[in-house]
Amino acid sequence: MAAEGARSLRISQVGLRGVVGSGLTAAHVLDFASAFGTFLEPGKGVVVGRDPRASGVMIREGVVAALLACGRNVIDLGIAPTPVIQHTIRRMDAAGGISIGASHNAAEWNALKFFGRNAIYLSTAEANELLDIYHLKKFDFVEWNQLGKLRIEENALDPYLDELAAVFDFDGLRNFRVVVDCCSGTSALILRRMNQRFGFNFILINEKMQGVAFAHEPATNRDMVALQLAPLMKPLTADAGFLFDADSDRVALATEDGTPVSEEVILPLLADYLLPRGPGKLIITNVSTTALVDEVASRHSGEVVRVPVGRQAAIDALSTYRPEQIALAGEGTGAIMMPQFRFVYDGIASMLAVLSMMRERGAGLCEIMRSYPKYSILKGQVSLVTHRIPALLAALRERYPDGRANVVDGLRVDWPGRWFHVRVSQTEPVVRIICEQRGDAPTQLYDELVEQVRSFA
Amino acid sequence: MPRREHLLKIGVSGIRGVVGEFLTPALACSFAQAFGTYVGGGRVVVGRDTRTSGDMLVHAVSCGLLAAGCEVVKVGILPTPTIQMYVAATHAQGGIAVTASHNPPEYNALKLFNAQGLFFNNYERAELLDLYHQSDFRQATNAEIGRIVTDEQTAPKLHFRKVLAHVDADRIRRRKFRVALDAVNGAGAVTTPGFLRNTLGCDLEAIAIDPTKVFPREAEPKPETLGEIAELVRRGHRDIGFAQDPDGDRLAVIDETGFVLDNDDVLALAVDAALRRLPGDVVVNLTTSSVIDDVARAHGRKVYRTPVGEANVVETMQAVNAVIGGEGSNGGIIFPAVHLCRDSYTGMAFLLDRMAETGEKISTIAARLPKYFRRLGKAAFEHGRLGTLMQNLESRFPSAETDRTDGLKLLLPQGWIHVRASNTEPLLRIAVESKSEVEADKLYQEVLALFAA
Repeated sequence: MAAEGARSLRISQVGLRGVVGSGLTAAHVLDFASAFGTFLEPGKGVVVGRDPRASGVMIREGVVAALLACGRNVIDLGIAPTPVIQHTIRRMDAAGGISIGASHNAAEWNALKFFGRNAIYLSTAEANELLDIYHLKKFDFVEWNQLGKLRIEENALDPYLDELAAVFDFDGLRNFRVVVDCCSGTSALILRRMNQRFGFNFILINEKMQGVAFAHEPATNRDMVALQLAPLMKPLTADAGFLFDADSDRVALATEDGTPVSEEVILPLLADYLLPRGPGKLIITNVSTTALVDEVASRHSGEVVRVPVGRQAAIDALSTYRPEQIALAGEGTGAIMMPQFRFVYDGIASMLAVLSMMRERGAGLCEIMRSYPKYSILKGQVSLVTHRIPALLAALRERYPDGRANVVDGLRVDWPGRWFHVRVSQTEPVVRIICEQRGDAPTQLYDELVEQVRSFA
Repeated sequence: MPRREHLLKIGVSGIRGVVGEFLTPALACSFAQAFGTYVGGGRVVVGRDTRTSGDMLVHAVSCGLLAAGCEVVKVGILPTPTIQMYVAATHAQGGIAVTASHNPPEYNALKLFNAQGLFFNNYERAELLDLYHQSDFRQATNAEIGRIVTDEQTAPKLHFRKVLAHVDADRIRRRKFRVALDAVNGAGAVTTPGFLRNTLGCDLEAIAIDPTKVFPREAEPKPETLGEIAELVRRGHRDIGFAQDPDGDRLAVIDETGFVLDNDDVLALAVDAALRRLPGDVVVNLTTSSVIDDVARAHGRKVYRTPVGEANVVETMQAVNAVIGGEGSNGGIIFPAVHLCRDSYTGMAFLLDRMAETGEKISTIAARLPKYFRRLGKAAFEHGRLGTLMQNLESRFPSAETDRTDGLKLLLPQGWIHVRASNTEPLLRIAVESKSEVEADKLYQEVLALFAA
């Protein structure tokens, strides 16, 4: 594991992430949380929660110590889904919050996500300031009689559910027979409570939260849906199946006949539901996301804004529009933000939107899926030699001069019904290649691209 | 430009400093991770006194211990000796008490204990410090990270039971002593009222027993800071008064007249009580009064002297298998049959037991000790001048027998002089003792004059 962990630490605008022990250490946590305590505006405390990873306990202790030392009162939610942490920040009008959890990464990883006032993700400018404080290591620790106090918040879940109940028609949704793969994560907390309090009919698998051995990789993609969830759909005569990552901000789904749906389809599906409801007409997504979203948008006179890959670019793009202009924002990973929830990634809300769509249309998921044309996507990666990237991108652009090029993040080239995207990963030293075509898979284009990228490695 | 004051000390005695600018959570976390690495993982007990920074530092320490692959047992606010006994009794790998003992409230520190609940010896502490500086810590992976468990109830019961095994609790309870307590709003505030009232059946009047409040007096229990409790004893016609420091290891005693007993005499009374029960020798530091020698001699026992510092006394006590020991001036009584640590609860129980046994007032019992006159003081010195000062002192008393174990101690026919550099401040600590008050004053003035020159 040292081999993977040795270079796993990543400190960037989206926070701090790494394999615990070999990459991410207690010292990083203390310094980064101290920087956050120094960075935040004065306010009513900082909300902290974590996913069930075993290392979350260690990181929580460090985060709490650093925030108290900066004179911040801390409200600890214990193990809590990220959307609930964000909801609590708003509800308590807190100065900000920290979510401890590595979301869709394997159990040995962990990460810190930072939220400012109103639970919004930090803008790039704010994140850069936080990084500067972290690197300078000059923290505003307060004197002995000014230290913060820790408070444990036992019930953050119910107020969060109250907000969901105000937006969605719970009475109309609770009779759906829904199977959920919680993947040993925090979604089980919410869904169990929804069954108990509102009489929902969620059937949970992998619902016991685990600190070390997750039931399977907590990624929200088609392969993971196919693993355990999809085969249960028919035997359990379920109406729909959902899979959540460890901290419940992402979702994937299976149809009632047991077909795993591509993670790429969640965004177009929700766009199809939300665009007609208005008032927002804009869909903010990245250059790697399926062209199906463009097709769905055009059905409802919506408009797709393509930004670089990664949450930070989406956040920055959102801040350049008025909230009522936006229909939704998200990526082809099952991470979706909706204006009704003030633009936080929320897998639970995404699931409820899908169920609402089924109810309002009186249609099953299979039928809804059939209303979309088939798109086939191929994804791959090649190890990179960093200094040759610019030459590679230039060569590819020359090689495909007839398409429409977008260079906000690597190179995306679009033809009618077909596109590819070649970019450098932000999390691993690889070049990612994505290639999509309306209809059958663009195998020939994909193979060509892989070969060309390899020739630069 | 004045030199910036650095109120942080990282050394063989661990880490201590003013919270905020100096003692940061990151330092405490790293030190705890070094400790967790040194003890090799396993269960580590973490407790604290009532300082405002205690909660913050417990979290930082727990973070470091968990990162080193330890399981953390949080015992909450407890006296240091109680924490030490719990470590030993629960077979933990070690323990950390977050307390700066008698230092002012803006300070905090980590006291580190081994699996037996004892201070590390000097060699171990040097090893730990090297490990800290090298930052070569155990880094647990997700699968290796331990839990946090909480157990705030077991330790005090365990501690009291151990103390009661060495006194006649029934005869103490029968007397229903009228006792006063000043717990300085420290860790003793949580456990001492129950100990005196319920365990020993005393009629208790207590002040400063709110663990959520700041220290109402100087943290070190010494005569000039104990006016309120002394007044309470005198006015309330109490049989005896006790005062603790914030982490409950040190004890000061007030007699029924409201007189604060000399700490060396309190130790002498404890030594006498211990030697009446168990055969063995005594260990005290170089600055402790000769009254200890007199008491030990009366029991036909020997006294060993060590450099100042609890760890030094404990190390020698272990080596010579001593029955009792301590440090006079700072109110530390160490009775290994209970635990090899400073323990104010053993002190309280011993004194009440002697009062119950003899039926005498505490002032009467104390008055029976041989009378010595002590003068304690300090003098600032410039760096580089220490050697000259010590030489001057030695040549002023050429016929004296000398002991250089810790600074310079001169043994004279009329008494003794002990001068040593403080471990914590740029100060010389001066102690003088004689059977004659006139001689004590004379010697003390001579030393001061010598250092002023």
